[in-house]
Amino acid sequence: MTDFHADSGQAFLPPWFQGIRRIADVMTLVLNVIGTLLILAVMVLVNADVIGRVAFNTPVSGVPEIVSMSIVAIVFLQVAQAFRKGRLTRTDAVLDYIQKRAPRLRSLLEFIFTLAAIALIWQLFAASEPLFVKAWVRGTYEGTVGDFTAPIWPVKLIILIGCAALLVQLVLHAITSLFALTSKKGTSL
Amino acid sequence: EEISATVVAGHPPVFRWVKHVSQTFIPAVNAALEGSDYSISWSEQYGGSLAKVGDELEATEEGLAEIGLVSSLFDPAKLAVQNVTYFTPFVSSDSTVVAEWMDKLQANDADMKASWEENGLEYLGGATGIDDYLLMTNFPVESISDLDGKKIGAPGPAVNWLKGTGAVGVSGNLTTYYNEIKTGVYDGVIVFASAAVPGKLYEVAPHVTRIGFGAQYAGGIAANKDWYDALPPMVQKALKGAAITNRIAYHKDLDATVGKFLNIMEENGATVTQVDEAFRKEWADGMDNVAKIWAEKLDADGVGGSRVLKSYMDTMRDAGATPVRNWDQE
Amino acid sequence: MSPFEIGLTSFGAMVVMVYLGFWVPFALMLSSFVGVWVIKGSPILAGKLLALAASETISSYFFGVVPLFIMMGFIVSVTGMGRDAFDVANHMFRRVRGGLGFGTVGANAIFAAITGISIASAAVFTRIAVPEMRRHGYSKRFSVGVVAGSSVLGMLIPPSLLLILYGLLTEQSVGDLFIAGVLPGLLLAFVFCLGIFLVALFKPKLIGEGITDPYDDADALTTQEVLAKGLPIAALIGLVLGGIYGGFFTPIEAGAIGCSGAIIIGLLRRALTLKDFWEVLTDTGLITAAISFLIIAAQMYSRMLALSGVPAGFGNFVATAEIGYWGVILAYVLLVILMGTILDSSSIMLILVPLMLPVLALLQVDLIWFGIITIIAVEIGLLTPPFGISVFVIKSSLDDPSITLGDIFYGAAPFAVLMLVVLGLVLAFPQLATALL
Ligand code: NA
Ligand code: NA
Repeated sequence: MTDFHADSGQAFLPPWFQGIRRIADVMTLVLNVIGTLLILAVMVLVNADVIGRVAFNTPVSGVPEIVSMSIVAIVFLQVAQAFRKGRLTRTDAVLDYIQKRAPRLRSLLEFIFTLAAIALIWQLFAASEPLFVKAWVRGTYEGTVGDFTAPIWPVKLIILIGCAALLVQLVLHAITSLFALTSKKGTSL
Repeated sequence: EEISATVVAGHPPVFRWVKHVSQTFIPAVNAALEGSDYSISWSEQYGGSLAKVGDELEATEEGLAEIGLVSSLFDPAKLAVQNVTYFTPFVSSDSTVVAEWMDKLQANDADMKASWEENGLEYLGGATGIDDYLLMTNFPVESISDLDGKKIGAPGPAVNWLKGTGAVGVSGNLTTYYNEIKTGVYDGVIVFASAAVPGKLYEVAPHVTRIGFGAQYAGGIAANKDWYDALPPMVQKALKGAAITNRIAYHKDLDATVGKFLNIMEENGATVTQVDEAFRKEWADGMDNVAKIWAEKLDADGVGGSRVLKSYMDTMRDAGATPVRNWDQE
Repeated sequence: MSPFEIGLTSFGAMVVMVYLGFWVPFALMLSSFVGVWVIKGSPILAGKLLALAASETISSYFFGVVPLFIMMGFIVSVTGMGRDAFDVANHMFRRVRGGLGFGTVGANAIFAAITGISIASAAVFTRIAVPEMRRHGYSKRFSVGVVAGSSVLGMLIPPSLLLILYGLLTEQSVGDLFIAGVLPGLLLAFVFCLGIFLVALFKPKLIGEGITDPYDDADALTTQEVLAKGLPIAALIGLVLGGIYGGFFTPIEAGAIGCSGAIIIGLLRRALTLKDFWEVLTDTGLITAAISFLIIAAQMYSRMLALSGVPAGFGNFVATAEIGYWGVILAYVLLVILMGTILDSSSIMLILVPLMLPVLALLQVDLIWFGIITIIAVEIGLLTPPFGISVFVIKSSLDDPSITLGDIFYGAAPFAVLMLVVLGLVLAFPQLATALL
């Protein structure tokens, strides 16, 4: 499969664009690293809960709640990087066929697909924003008073951040396919 | 004129409270509208097809569904005051009474009403009462000291009921109780009879102790407020009337089943014991006053927690309940 | 257009988009967004459906530990424990052609006993088994196909998320369901192995052109080598299984404990460097994100379908058609398999099982047996295009871009057929499910 994604040689891209992309990629990577550390934290937490319960009769309060909130955070912190690295599932049989015969059409298709994805993630972002505001204003929490409670807003915020990061990567991807579409060779993708 | 209404419930219709929405509430609305100019075309979305358990409120508030079977138990932050029963155990074991009075409080109590409105909902009624919670264990419980160091699984707020008993409360859920007791992760659970029998929990936890934790209010039927306000008055009346019919039918069904379920457990080799007043009092007195902690937290958030607590306790005492511990008077 | 027609149309559009090469999660999202927009007449509501599904779908303890199960597998892989286990399997099956296929199925059956979800099995064995099989000359399609096929064991052999869900829906004892899953699970593993054996015997080219031929005894490991290679992984499995059945932790918590165990064993063997570990962590994160994003999109899609009434419509048709006991059962099985091509496992069960219950009561169907039937039929859907979660997971976990999604679907197809065979056997001989009860 032709790699439309990061790290492939794309000499046809102007330097200014490559510069912007490097900055965006660093930000995406930072989110990715935070998400990765969160997985580690979940592992430590569940272990602490089990060991505390079995050995010391003192389970850690709120582990199911923290874990169920963390997984949402983990996913949205990493989804932009997953896209950048080409990990989102797609069937490439038709695309490869087109690539061989009409590389520009392939770029055009890629551009249209990415625009559709941008519209969708924008919708998701716009509709998720009120959910964050609600959680923030009302101070909603997970858990139960007297045992353990944790605010919900950080997760809702991370959903927004994740969508924004994914949007940035999608826009960069759309521009890349546009350059490929208009570049003289057209086949270099 | 045809009005379309999507009804959402996170639990599947095998749960009694969902079954009655489908088999009592909806037919009652249809019956009330028969012969009028209005009719409702229903789309019934149960079992997580549109919203998971605990997400019904948001789906109704946002307008994806017009009517929701909202579980306050699973939305303790948004419907904080509605959870008053879970923070006041040992008040009444009669779920019919608890449900009836909780429905009245939803209509009359300012804080209860406000909390539905803040979430963009109109409370229709149809309180879901939960039958008296039981302690089911794989060891006999003759005194509270028997619980020392034992791991007891309990639903979220009920973990608080174990504090002060020496037992280790572990927050768990119905779906895995059987295996967790069987393998020994838990030594017992706090659960209600109408869930214990279908899950065959008596096989692994044959010692059923009726502590008298009490019946609980788990939620009710609510409508999206914008949608409700735009309805013709007679349709509004039909919805609220049907919610009352639903509450009565559901609790009649529940009461008939609970007695039967305790018998089934005994027939299957479980021992059902009822603790005496002294046991119950010792348990209740040994607990932290979790109701007070809860009420003060709500007070601090600007919700009348202490007021609701008193209002609920007064209501129940007036209705003839004799709480083992008067949580509001300490 | 009626909602029903909208549902069908958006399904068609989704399939076309997926085949054209639109990212699968975005194709699902787009068809649900447009579908809800048209059904409810409001783009704002459609957006809200996306947002609610995004924040709710995976927000559970059970989903939360999925990355830990995946990470455990990766650590096993990166520390060489996976390869060692395969060397042992190779040794054991050295006189059998297709021995590594046997090894994959067997190892999956064992892993199934510690995990409740098939996507974990699929992700883990993609990393452990596929490179080993490729190294030994097995074909691409067979290597990924056997991993896809045997990943379904994860939810048939207890513990199983799907059996818990079914128990909840039908008020059957989860304990009984778990026991009922054991024999069919083992039978399925056996049938997979038999299938591999027969193909290796009669059509060996289907498995691979240049498979390293049956190991002769000169290649055999010494007992000492078998122990050295087999013990670490056996210790890890012992830790996890012992912990679950000894009552120390729950199957959900097992992922975290297993991770720690794998790390400790890796450190003891001096086979786990900080760099390896960080790579494993990052990779786990990316795969988790890709899979979860897909599952979120699938949930949006199934909510749209629920609003359209398509699944309930088909279900009602089967439930109310007067076609007798076997007519109902077979129509149901067929419907589940058809829905499996486009919906995820739990959605199918949540839609169909409650719908069937009243009919099943009338026909006096044994609900435990019916549960096992349901699980096997639902799990066939993990392998069938265009929407096959196990196949997608394998694709996201693969290091090798030369293996396409199509290759994996092709490779998995024979295993889906073998599942049909086992399904037929359990239908014909209900004792397979109920004998141990
Ligand atoms: Na399993
Ligand atoms: Na499928």
